[in-house]
Amino acid sequence: MRFYSPTSMFKQDKTPRHSRESGNLSSHTHWKILWLSAFAGMTKQLTLLSIPRVTKGGCLSYMLLILSLCFIPTAQATPNIQTATLNNGLRVLLVEAHNVPMVSMQLSMPAGSRFDPADKAGTSSMLADMLSDHTAQHNQQAWADALDAQAVRFGLSSSRDMLNASLTVVKDTLPAGLDILSEAILHPGWRSERFASLKSNNIAAAIKSEESANTLAAEATAKLLYGDAGYGHPVGGTAKSLQAIRMQDIQALYQAQVKPQGSVLAVSGDITLKELLPLLNARLATWQGKPKHPALQVADAPVLTAQQQHLALPTSQMLVQFSRLGIARSSHAFFPLFVMNHYLGGGGFSSKLMEEVREKRGLVYGVYSYFIPLAGTGPMVITLQTKASQAEQAIQVVRQVMQEMAEGTIDSQRLNAIKKNLTGSFAQRMDSNRERVGLLAMIGFYHMPLNYLQQWTHAVNAVTVADVQNIAHTYLHPDAWNIIQVGPLKEK
Amino acid sequence: MNRFHIYGAALLLFWSGMAQASTIQEASFANGVKLVVQEDHSAPVAMVQVWLKVGGRDEVPGKTGLAHVFEHMMFKGSDALKAGEYSKRIAAMGGRDNAFTSHDFTAYFETVPAKQVDTVLHMEAERFAHLSLRQKDFAKEIRVIMEERRMRTEDDPNSHMFEELSAAALRLHPYRNPVIGWMQDLEHLDISEVRAFYKQHYVARNATVVVVGDVDFKHLKHIVQKTFGAMPDVAVPPRFNPKEPEPLGAKRVEVHLPAKSPVLAITIPVPVWEPGHNDTQAAALAVATYMLSGGRSALLSQRLVKEQHKAFSVSAGYDPFGMGLDLWYAYGMLGNTQSASDLEAGLWSVMHELGTQKITPQRLQTAKRNIIASHIFAQDSLYLRAKTIGRMETVGIGAQHLDDWIQAIQSVTADDVHTVVQQFLQPKRATTGVLIPEVQS
Repeated sequence: MRFYSPTSMFKQDKTPRHSRESGNLSSHTHWKILWLSAFAGMTKQLTLLSIPRVTKGGCLSYMLLILSLCFIPTAQATPNIQTATLNNGLRVLLVEAHNVPMVSMQLSMPAGSRFDPADKAGTSSMLADMLSDHTAQHNQQAWADALDAQAVRFGLSSSRDMLNASLTVVKDTLPAGLDILSEAILHPGWRSERFASLKSNNIAAAIKSEESANTLAAEATAKLLYGDAGYGHPVGGTAKSLQAIRMQDIQALYQAQVKPQGSVLAVSGDITLKELLPLLNARLATWQGKPKHPALQVADAPVLTAQQQHLALPTSQMLVQFSRLGIARSSHAFFPLFVMNHYLGGGGFSSKLMEEVREKRGLVYGVYSYFIPLAGTGPMVITLQTKASQAEQAIQVVRQVMQEMAEGTIDSQRLNAIKKNLTGSFAQRMDSNRERVGLLAMIGFYHMPLNYLQQWTHAVNAVTVADVQNIAHTYLHPDAWNIIQVGPLKEK
Repeated sequence: MNRFHIYGAALLLFWSGMAQASTIQEASFANGVKLVVQEDHSAPVAMVQVWLKVGGRDEVPGKTGLAHVFEHMMFKGSDALKAGEYSKRIAAMGGRDNAFTSHDFTAYFETVPAKQVDTVLHMEAERFAHLSLRQKDFAKEIRVIMEERRMRTEDDPNSHMFEELSAAALRLHPYRNPVIGWMQDLEHLDISEVRAFYKQHYVARNATVVVVGDVDFKHLKHIVQKTFGAMPDVAVPPRFNPKEPEPLGAKRVEVHLPAKSPVLAITIPVPVWEPGHNDTQAAALAVATYMLSGGRSALLSQRLVKEQHKAFSVSAGYDPFGMGLDLWYAYGMLGNTQSASDLEAGLWSVMHELGTQKITPQRLQTAKRNIIASHIFAQDSLYLRAKTIGRMETVGIGAQHLDDWIQAIQSVTADDVHTVVQQFLQPKRATTGVLIPEVQS
């Protein structure tokens, strides 16, 4: 594989790779995920249109005429987003796709890791594990057998803001799949022996993950940027924080935050809204209430700059992670920052960092930058790994690139190429059910306007050299960034 | 449990319905190039993949990593485009490009707006035929690849252990060497070897062009005729595929590295699928492996993690689409209070259970349904669709045979599963590897 982007900063790799391919098969997914998270980040700033609610029985649909000016496609590029709100307040977003007989969906609830109690990082993640493991009606073995018998792919996982339940089914098993989804969310089992077992497995996995420089850097970066606030810890927790979690903690999180209001069900696949709504109503009508803490309200983190840390790990490479605070999803700076980030290090071989650090100097296999817009202010990160003896040189090259951009050196040809890449690749970012579901969940959860896809292409095209210069001036001064290094302590 | 209705043989029906809907169309050209197309007009995008019948298995001793180094050099310029320009052009048309190398194949791919497919094919054919291969580009790129190896293997104790395990498990078969190459070999490769590799392997007969998406087969036939089809016809020798001697007894490797906790893995050489020759055997191995490791009710995880707490995670894997053999594997990740020998005994006890105890019809049906469902879900991704086609073509199975594989899976009986487990998944045929954490000072 010529280039493989590691995933986001809080990734925990729990399994050894045993891939015969020298590349990692998932790399294709990775760039799509990174792109999607940034892409879906454009949120409320586009317009402050309220989301039209659909009265029962009448489903408005919104035709989004994206791409009409960019492409002359022979196929329809426009995902037509249909929405409805169930009586209990759950928003449903659907894109129909009838080319494969399957349906994918994601239920996103405001119960992510930022709601973990202090010193109990991993609570949300443990809740996800428990809700997918068994229910009040089915013990673990019976539940596992039931899901496998239907060939249903179902599971829960946490991110910083959300607790997500994902379901993928062959079309014919959709009713059974929805039975499973609703039973898992509405009727938790809370079996103590399963809690103890999952907890001890997660602790063992957390210890194992400390072999990875990425895990250590992610934990240190989160702590540095956010301290004890909600984003200040890894989503999955640490060996120590997991130890402190009790059953009451995950039950409390469930009681407070797993509610239909503020949650979103994103659906893509071989189904119509007319077929879907009765299936949902029959299963989810008894689910009621609104979350104790609003989905999108987060206090600002204090700003820390120019911190340096070195964590020891007996590796041959040094992992260098630059970080600082970025923006929230609601920020007006989204588009300039989005385009600037691709110019800097988010666009693979089109980016300046890749050119200077890898292509010109051969110092790294990969170097990349990203920012994660969240309900609150999310992080900005630049990461690379290089032979320990080259770390100092690589840091200087990165700082030089940031400095030049911060001082206004922006190549308009490169910027145009970046914009062409972003707008031209628009359709491929939503050409599978999996991607569409992720996108719809973001649109719904963060209350983006339903026409934002159309806005998106225009907004990217509207970013000027001056906009990129301004945003680089605000965000790229190297002295405002923190640096964490993970690797051998002394090697020159 | 009766809330969950059983949906009979619906899955198989879906699969046949889908196979109808997404027909694979093929064309062969006089110089040996092959084109395989699957039209899908649901979005205005296309995945273009160029597959080569060359990979790690075609390297000679002392030159491991060459096929993968070569893959990197494909982005370093040609007569028409200077180094790095290829990817820039693809990016500017709104596309993404990358490549991957395995033991059995090398593939280059681009996801692009459908209207750009012709341009991409011209560009691919141009670099394929007129690569620059300059010393100064090589000198930089080999350093990048060493960093890649450090990141993937040297600094990852689990990958490192699996590399040692594969090397110990096989005597002749090239799956014993890492695709990225041993560091000692990478340090001594030079550009003349890269050029010789190019001349020998990057010829029309080794190339398959795969396109999936919003395209027209007839039109593409015309474009490929003008591009890849215009290359000279050069004969290629049969690929290196030695017959691995049968194991003579259990083998064992210990890997001592800085690590936080142990890993135990077992690997066993097993047959791959040869259509028409061993359909039942290969499909039964796939079903057996699914029962051990697939889904939530997987036997290994149910017994060893959930009931006996002998590991915090276990898994097994079988790849029926390799060449010559597959290194079947199972592994467990251990917490620091769990014992590797307990887990090892547990793994064999579960495999013994699968090989001897009654398999209920429901359990058999569940395994089949899930294997078929995975093939349906894979249709969601243009990348995976093109990849399945390219891979089946390149290893010699043929993309048209995917339906036969589904049929073979559907025909597996409980006795077939017992037979393959008893025949192949036995301790005396296995190589066991243990990652033993070194005390960190």
